[in-house]
Formats: sequence, C-alpha cells, structure tokens
Amino acid sequence: MIFENTGFYFREALLSFRRSTLMSMAAILSTTTILLIVGIFLLISVNLNLFLENLESQLEIVVYLEDDISQAEINNLKSNITSIDETKEVKFVSKEEAYQNLLKNLGEQKDILSAIEKNPLPASFEIQVKDPKMIEQIANQITKFKKVEEVEYGRETAERLLNFTYIFRIAGMLVLFLLVFASILIISNIIKITVYARRNEIEIMSLVGATAWFVKWPFIIEGFLQGFISSVLSTIILYNFYFFAVNKVHQAIPFLPLVVDNVDLLPMGIAIVLLGSFVGILGSMFSVGKYLNV
Amino acid sequence: MIRMFHVYKNYPNKIQALRDINIHIKKGEFIFLVGATGAGKSTFLKLIYRGIVPTKGQVIVDGINIARLKPGYIPYLRRNIGIVFQDFKLLYDRTVYENISFGLKAIGATNFEIRQQVKKVLNLVGLENKRKIKPHLLSGGEQQKLCIARAIANEPLILLTDEPTGNLDPYTSWEIMKLLFHINIRGTTIIMASHDKLMIDKAKKRVVRLERGRIMEDTERGTY
Repeated sequence: MIFENTGFYFREALLSFRRSTLMSMAAILSTTTILLIVGIFLLISVNLNLFLENLESQLEIVVYLEDDISQAEINNLKSNITSIDETKEVKFVSKEEAYQNLLKNLGEQKDILSAIEKNPLPASFEIQVKDPKMIEQIANQITKFKKVEEVEYGRETAERLLNFTYIFRIAGMLVLFLLVFASILIISNIIKITVYARRNEIEIMSLVGATAWFVKWPFIIEGFLQGFISSVLSTIILYNFYFFAVNKVHQAIPFLPLVVDNVDLLPMGIAIVLLGSFVGILGSMFSVGKYLNV
Repeated sequence: MIRMFHVYKNYPNKIQALRDINIHIKKGEFIFLVGATGAGKSTFLKLIYRGIVPTKGQVIVDGINIARLKPGYIPYLRRNIGIVFQDFKLLYDRTVYENISFGLKAIGATNFEIRQQVKKVLNLVGLENKRKIKPHLLSGGEQQKLCIARAIANEPLILLTDEPTGNLDPYTSWEIMKLLFHINIRGTTIIMASHDKLMIDKAKKRVVRLERGRIMEDTERGTY
C-alpha cells in the first residue's frame, strides 16, 4: 500500500507543512534547540575524552638497567619488551643521555654534579603502553627480565589518574544518556502537539474507512521531515559554532588538545541526524495511534 | 441490514446508555431515531459503525457481527457506512472538493473514480459551483450538504445521520430532508437521529423512540 500511494503520502505531508506553517516552524525550531543542546554536550564530551586520553598517555614505565649490561643484552632486552603486545613505544635512554637530561633539568644548579666523579645514572627504557589499565601487568612482566634493576611506573599516580578518568567517563555517559532521553521525550511531545492539532482529520479519515496505515503514513513522513530538517539545521549551526570556538580557544591556549578532525566529528553529526529523524518517525507514529481509535 | 439482539451498553461511569435493545432494520428503510438528549441515540449509532462495542448482546451489520470484528477490518465495515454529524466535522483548511476527494482517496479510489464521484455527489447536493472554496465560506445548510456529499461519495449501504438539521432553519432543514429522501429512494438505508418534530411528522417514516436507553416505541409511519 505504501508503494501504491507514496506520491499521495508525500504530497499530504508537504501540504500539511504548508497548511500549518507556523506550527511546523515552531516544532522545527524547538526540536533544533533541543538537538543543539545534545550536540553541544556531545562536543564537550569528545573533547574531554581526548583530554583524558592525553593525560593517560603520559603514563609510562621506566625500566632501569644494571650498569654492567652489554650492547647485545640491551638489544635483546629491547626486542623482548617490544614483543609484549600492549607496548606502544619503547625508547632507550643511555647513561650519557640520562646525564645530559639531568644537566639540562638542573640548569644553573649543575655545579652540584661536579662533586660526583662518575656518572651515577643508569641506562633505561622509557615505555609507553597502548592501554593505561594494563600498565601494572606489563611492569610486572618486565621485572622478570634479566639485567633489569628496577621498574617504575608511578603506581599510585597511575591508579588515581585511572580512577579519576573512569569516574569522569561514567558520569559523562550518564549525563549523555539522560540528555538523549529527555530530548526524545521533548521532541515526541512537540510532535504530539502538532498531531493533536489535526486530530479531527485523523478522526474523519478513520470514520470514512481509511486503514490505520493510510492515516499514519503522511504523519510519519511529516514527523521524519520535521526531525530531519531540525537535526540537519542544528548540525550545521553546531559545526560552524564549534570551529569558531576552537579557533578562539587555540588563540588563547595553543597547546590544549581539541578534536578538529572531521573523521571524529562526522559520526556525531550522523548520530544527531539519526536521533532527530528516528524520534520524529516514532513520535508521530505513536501520537497518531492515539487518535485513531474512534 | 442491521439487527440487534438484547444489546446493552454500559459506559465506564456506570451509566447504562442502552438496555435490552432488539431491532431489525431492513435494507432501504428510512428510520427516525427520536428521544431526549441522553436517551442513547448517539450510542445506538456508534454501535453500528463500530465506534464502540456492546457490553452485552449482538449487533449484526450487513451480516457482520461487530463485536467480533478484528480492529484491522473496521475500516472495511465503515466503507459501507456513511456518517453525517451535527457538527459537520469538515476540514476547514481544504476546499469543498478536497473534503470529499480525501475520503475517497482514503479508501483506495483511483484519481479518475474520484473525479467522477465527487462531481456526481456535488451535483446531487447542489454544490458543484462551490467546489473550489473552503467550507467556512459556506452557510450552515451548505456545510451540512457537503457533509452528506462526503458521506455518500463511496455509495454506502447505510447512512447514519446524527441530528443533521439540528442547527438549521426550517426551510433549509426541509431541503436537507428532501436530499436524504432522494438518497433513500436510490436504495441506501438511512437512520436519522433527530429532535425535529416538524420534519418527523411531515415525513411519515418509521419512528423508533428511545427513553433512558430502552426502545419505548417503534411505529411504521410514526410521529414525534
């Protein structure tokens, strides 16, 4: 039946936009506003996530080596560490490099070192890991290797940081969930009002013997169009507003990591459009159903 | 065409709208349903188009037991029944033509059939010159005629009218009555709920009187 009357359904849906322009505009504007709020929160949360990831990636394992280690043993140890799946980057720091780094860090106080004859610093590996949660396990594994004097990864700091990021992520998900839930309720209520305004039409159609789907289709298409237009509108506004804001923030705090890649932003735009369209369709379907039983 | 056997209808607020109704309405009959407000006239009509189901008893319309009718089949029952309301229930944002064509489209008529049918019924009720205007520009009588035109557009077997002359002056009321008689002569069974004593006495048709949900009188060629 849908294929048979598709043209009619679309015409009816578009006509109803024209017949009640003010109503449709109000519905589209309020839906756009709700979706904007959801979008703004989404943008904040992806940036927060990036910030947390950055923070977590600064966690690293430092493996101090025994002084009598040979070059062959260093190479052997490095390949052993690299072969652990969870390691991301393994960097060797020689005794000399460690000494130079220390000199650099001490700056004007470097004279302190003149009291010491020999370079007291051990050579080391600095290891970055793929998943910060695995850091303890990896550290334990490395401790067992030969010629390893000590393994350090800031155990307490790491645990605290991971706890903090975990809570932040859960809270973010919760807020996002509530926000999406609220927006679904609000958008479907907006649609309910537009359907209510046309309950006479639904009643009459039902009394002359129109099937339920015949009555529903134009409303479903209208609900979809309302949701789709609103979500596209809010995505366009968000996109422009976001890049404007990103520019301003970068001017003020250049080193702050911000999501600017379209590959990361596109899924959000798609999610908003899907949310708007889907709620539009379902909202009108259920609202019409209510007035159909005359 | 319509049979009711020991039909009772109670509403949720414990009001007994209909009590032990037994009636047989034959094909092509014209029946006045009379009675005070709240006597059960509207409930009687609603049972026929399956706007409600009886609390007890059987309602058979054109061989179909409406209490056992699955919701999906209700539209097909209603395609055999035209309904005319006192408050018209017209769509005021559509033209006279569209008010009729939209009902026909709803039951799957082709564009060609719709054009033919709308033209025919508008001619019958005398509104062919006003097909392009919106209903709010029509007089009360004309709006009622439009309502009748919409109800008979798909040539239903039964026409239910709920006080169609309730808000009209005597002259216009008689015009509407003549139109209904004309439709009746062509074979449509008509049930008309009415308070209009003048019309009923003049028409000399079968009169069924409802009082507090019961049939108190059922006379051929009756009066109010």
